Amino acid sequence: MIVLMVSLAPLFSAFPQDKVVEGELSLKPIWVSVDGREGGEAKFTEYRDLREDGGFYGRARLNVDTEKYFLDLKAGDFGYDTQYYKIGGGLWGIFKGDLFYNEIPHNITFDARSTFVGAGHDTLIGTPNTNVAGWETFDYSVERRQYGGNLKVDVIRPFFAGLSFQREERDGIKPTGASDDALGPGTAFELPEPVHYVTNNLKVEAGYAKKPLFLSVGYIRSDFNNSDTKLNLPANFTGPRAFSLPPDNTYQKGAFKGAVRLPFNSRFSTNIGFSRGESDTSIFSNFDGKVDTQNYDFALTSNPVRFLDAKAYYKFYKRNNKSDPSQNPFSLEVANLFLDYEISTLGGDLGLRLPLNFYLSGGYKYITTKRDKGETDPAEVFPFNTDNVYFGNIKWSGLEFLDAKVGYEHFDRNANYRTVQSEVSPAKRYPYAAQNKDTYKATVDIFPLENLNLGLEYRYKQIDYPSSDTTFGLRKDKRHEVGTSVDYIIGKIAKVYGCGDFGSIKFDQKQSSGGLPWEAEQKERSWGYAIGAEVYIIPSKLTLIFQHDYLKSNGNVDYTLANGLFGAGGLPVFPTANNENIDIARWDDYTLYAFKIKAVYNFTKSLVASIGYVYQRFDYRDAQLDDYNFAPAGPPASNAAFLTGAYKDQSYKANLVFGGLTFRY
Amino acid sequence: MKRRIFSLLFMTVTFSFILIPWNMARGDSDYAGSEACKDCHEAYYKGFAQSVHGKKAVPGNPANREGCESCHGPGAQHIEKGGGRGVAIIVFGRKTDSNTRDSKCLACHGEAKEFPFWNLSRHKSAQIACDNCHSIHAAVKGKDFLKAQEPDLCFGCHRNIRAQSNKQSHHPIREGKMKCSSCHNPMGTANVKAMIKADSVNELCYKCHAEKRGPYAFEHSPVPENCNYCHEIHGSNHSRLLVRKVPLLCQNCHNDGGHPGNPYTNLHSFTGSATSGKNRFFGRSCLNCHGNIHGSSLSPAFVR
Repeated sequence: MIVLMVSLAPLFSAFPQDKVVEGELSLKPIWVSVDGREGGEAKFTEYRDLREDGGFYGRARLNVDTEKYFLDLKAGDFGYDTQYYKIGGGLWGIFKGDLFYNEIPHNITFDARSTFVGAGHDTLIGTPNTNVAGWETFDYSVERRQYGGNLKVDVIRPFFAGLSFQREERDGIKPTGASDDALGPGTAFELPEPVHYVTNNLKVEAGYAKKPLFLSVGYIRSDFNNSDTKLNLPANFTGPRAFSLPPDNTYQKGAFKGAVRLPFNSRFSTNIGFSRGESDTSIFSNFDGKVDTQNYDFALTSNPVRFLDAKAYYKFYKRNNKSDPSQNPFSLEVANLFLDYEISTLGGDLGLRLPLNFYLSGGYKYITTKRDKGETDPAEVFPFNTDNVYFGNIKWSGLEFLDAKVGYEHFDRNANYRTVQSEVSPAKRYPYAAQNKDTYKATVDIFPLENLNLGLEYRYKQIDYPSSDTTFGLRKDKRHEVGTSVDYIIGKIAKVYGCGDFGSIKFDQKQSSGGLPWEAEQKERSWGYAIGAEVYIIPSKLTLIFQHDYLKSNGNVDYTLANGLFGAGGLPVFPTANNENIDIARWDDYTLYAFKIKAVYNFTKSLVASIGYVYQRFDYRDAQLDDYNFAPAGPPASNAAFLTGAYKDQSYKANLVFGGLTFRY
Repeated sequence: MKRRIFSLLFMTVTFSFILIPWNMARGDSDYAGSEACKDCHEAYYKGFAQSVHGKKAVPGNPANREGCESCHGPGAQHIEKGGGRGVAIIVFGRKTDSNTRDSKCLACHGEAKEFPFWNLSRHKSAQIACDNCHSIHAAVKGKDFLKAQEPDLCFGCHRNIRAQSNKQSHHPIREGKMKCSSCHNPMGTANVKAMIKADSVNELCYKCHAEKRGPYAFEHSPVPENCNYCHEIHGSNHSRLLVRKVPLLCQNCHNDGGHPGNPYTNLHSFTGSATSGKNRFFGRSCLNCHGNIHGSSLSPAFVR
């Protein structure tokens, strides 16, 4: 890329036009030291490629801009798993296009281990054993490599056309799991699932855009191919010795968009789309998947007078699963149940500009959802929902230095269970259950000085699943969220900035085990802040940058069990267990500290050097991952598991020292 | 009565004769030309001249029309009065209502193919105008004139989303591998609430997660309806962006009837195999067995 940029430079000077040529080349050496176990190292580099032995990270950018054409090149992280390249350009008013390549890693856990051999391939072999030290190791990590291009043609205006193509290759291993009865009833086997996917996406669009009309038709095709149709399981598995992997599928969509201006400063808009998704899996030869969707959006907006904004809209979305109603070849008594649903939304908004710089807005939405899964068991029939949503906001901009806004939304869902058996069932699924949701929010943005900005936001949301409908299931979801931000420029001396967030979430659920009730109250409290400063030690020459980030989350679960559940039924017997000592104190608890100091020196306007240091520490604790056991202690019994360490030991401490040399031209 | 009607008619005609030429004259002579603006606003002028708006090759561009005055209105009176912010000129700032500011942009971009649904945009409903996010006089990197780069620009208002995206499980937004605009069109889509670039949430998610698309022989019912039932898309404290932690998340729907109904408490599940003899709910809990929770070609219980 750098060679390309250098070689293109003389070409631009050949054009006798006024042009702006600018860009930069930079090289950033980074030395990294990570103190963490397998999960910690992966968590530190979750979406990055930072190697412990250090490395040189390059970045390049070139922009050429003339009266007639433009050319943009950018590239970075050459040779790393995060590398990206993009070259774009065009003739103003005629066409523009680009070609790109991009890599995105997702690291989950390094040096995970499996009792089976063959991680990353479509066949696992071996016999489960508890000699964890002898197990095969591998990395849970998936890499996406995306490349493609876009082209947009404007020269035929008012007509236009566009074409996009993207190919994504995804390779790696991700965790999955299967159960089997070979070693005892319901033994869990966490498995390394091979990922070898290729997805090709094509999008074409053409249309007409000239007042008062906008029309466009588009076509999308996406082909997903999985090299591995199944994961062959070891011989000791008693069920089907295969784990199904995502089937090849093809998705096609045709779409129409349109808009037309109408009298009274009004506009009618529409968006219509039809799609078909088809899958084919060789593992299940008599199954052909086919799902059709339809979408219709119609909207009318109007600003007939300055003080009034109005919007009315209707949306209809339908999913129709036309797949073969075949039977599971391995459990012949079980047939597929396919979900069909349709959602209709009818709504309207009104906005009023009032005196004293008030703006009042509000609206109403009526939503119906109809589901059909072809259930034969009347107790399992899915409900229809009817939702009424009311909302209102008031914004005030009456002062030169302040904007304030408050808002409220009420969501009311009714569930029609359609059969007596499903209606009287005490257990209700929260996505479909009757519920009331209230959301309040308030925001203030203050600008007391030209170079000082302050912001404060508060949100409160509560969802109640009324006991008249839901006896067992999620009963309450309650959250508080506070967000603040500040930035202040102190003349030519410094810029300071900061932000802080606090969030509190509480879920209440009531369940039943063997007819005996129990309750769980989950709490999550998260807070964090970031503060930083840029100090201009020598204006235009030397700048010092400091930044500190802190993030903490503290979760727990408070259990309350009916007396009969202690030592009963399927629960292990703990003679000492009672409602005081069964709570879970660590529920995805984590703390992130980060400190950064950086010095930037401008030798000239073109040559900039920097040096810096980052300390980052992540402490993670969770009841499900503390005292982790890869294999059951002793001979496998019921409820045992052979695990691989996915997401285990995510804590880390990391030190980074970095430098940088940037040449701007 | 007749005299009154005659008087009214006479006055109307007279005023019309006076006003029409005055208006015509105003239309012609009140434009001062961009060069005149340059004298006092050189930095703005330079930015404009170097920006896309300054390219004469683009049909309908301000450069082919009244230049600066295409957006700011005729400037002769502004000059005559000695200048000053808002003096006989249209300014873009908080004090000018959003529709007025937008109308200047939409005069050209109203027929732009990139945002035919601005009228449906939630930003428009919230009185967010084009210049809240775009710096029209350029001088910022990029041809989209954004005042700041994503996601910082969006987080300036969407502080709750900033907080979510900082949580330990998140999409690679902070790492620069995704942008808010990867999923949302801030200029508006037919999806009036979230402005997502798809007709449904699932259609959007499947663009990157095509392997979840199926259709599967065995569907997990909430999956094809809405990914958001189980996933907190902008970030979560729980791995895999889950809205709640497994097993309690699964138990929100699956109650009683064997192991789904049991309470997996600290003592009953998470004290280590040394004491309980059982470690099935360690690690990924329900997903240790039900690995194909998004759909399976073999198992209605998603264990194959």
